[in-house]
Amino acid sequence: MTAAGGAPPAAAGDAPAPTPGSLERRARRLLRWYPGSWRARYGEEFAELLLAELAEQPRAWRRTVNVAHCGLTARLAAAGLAGPPAGTAGARASLGTLTCSLAVFLTFGTAMWAQLAVGWQWAPPATTATAVAMLVMSGSLLFLAVLALLAAVPVGWVAIMAGFRRQARGLRTPALLTGAASLVLVIGGRHFGNGWPGTGGHWWPHQGLAPGGIAAFGWASTLSVTSYWAHPATLASFPPAELAWMVASPVALLSLATGAAQLVRRLELSPRVLAFETRIGRAAAAGMTAFLAGALCWVTQAGPGPHGLFRTGDIDAAGLAVLAAALATGWLAISRARPVPPARAAGQQ
Amino acid sequence: MGRSAGPATLILSSLADGAKHGYALTKDIEAFAGVRLAPGTLYEALSRLEGQGLIEALASDDRRRPYRLTAAGAEALHAHLQAQRHVADVGLRRLAGNWGVA
Repeated sequence: MTAAGGAPPAAAGDAPAPTPGSLERRARRLLRWYPGSWRARYGEEFAELLLAELAEQPRAWRRTVNVAHCGLTARLAAAGLAGPPAGTAGARASLGTLTCSLAVFLTFGTAMWAQLAVGWQWAPPATTATAVAMLVMSGSLLFLAVLALLAAVPVGWVAIMAGFRRQARGLRTPALLTGAASLVLVIGGRHFGNGWPGTGGHWWPHQGLAPGGIAAFGWASTLSVTSYWAHPATLASFPPAELAWMVASPVALLSLATGAAQLVRRLELSPRVLAFETRIGRAAAAGMTAFLAGALCWVTQAGPGPHGLFRTGDIDAAGLAVLAAALATGWLAISRARPVPPARAAGQQ
Repeated sequence: MGRSAGPATLILSSLADGAKHGYALTKDIEAFAGVRLAPGTLYEALSRLEGQGLIEALASDDRRRPYRLTAAGAEALHAHLQAQRHVADVGLRRLAGNWGVA
């Protein structure tokens, strides 16, 4: 074995020589660019290399850029969005990232759709674009909801079986997070759905496209996605309970997405289940694309409609940007989810 | 070795001489190839080569973990260098024949 050959020489120059403590702190700061799983495996030895490099060359912006770039690449790889195919674990990471993307997409998509559904309850669509957008967005949302349920069934089953076999190590926290967040969303969504502004109006053709209960629940669950945050004075006039819900509901949505993604990443899913989840993921990405097309049609073509009921603003443009980003991430994740085929997996065992 | 053939070839060539840890690899590669691998690039390649089974980490008492070449790594390096040598031979022959550069 070849040894490192002692400590590197201290840097020459006018500046005082950095102390070992300051070098260690800088090395630790650089290490933060990497994800936790990478740090757990390579962190100590990489910190040691960085200490030697820092002692030899205290200031080197290229090194900082290199570490940041490689650390971010490692983070993308840990999320199943970059790097070489990593087998079953990589496929689970990609599916976990797709779960997060879908959660973000559904949150912002439902908020946009709920806005359109309220207008739909009060006035007939003034333009074909509004009608097309409403039909496409409603159909896509229904499709995505069905897919989410289909995807959740095998994952939930494997999680329950792991709990019965006492193999739930590392699963308890995400399972509790998912369950508690779902409960909060269902209770809060139903309660605050009673204040849905689409309860009046007349019976227009196609108005019954979205059942009022579902539209109200979607509206209440995504009440926090609003431009009112930019108008604190108006926001202050809201009932305190509603304000509290506007703060609590995004926390619940975030907890639900995080818990579900962690479950997908940590559960030992069989190759057959992974293949099923991957097919569901591809269908979800297609559904998200259709929804985005509908939303784009509404925001860019529909016009304000009667009484400005279908008017769009900056929040909708921002929503479209978020939807596009979530969709791009989702497509990237699902394109990298390549589980080992069941036959080959069996052959490897 | 794929896209990371550059750093990978340098690392495998360095480890062909014996096991080394990160800093020793950096210094050795700098000495024989005149290239200083940045720390992020070095560990990106190390983790990839380890995942491919071309190198393996050895146990260590301190924080510096040495790596050594595996039999598969030696085979892959040999095949890669043979291919590189063939390319170099062809290139040099054509340069000598057409450009008079010996």
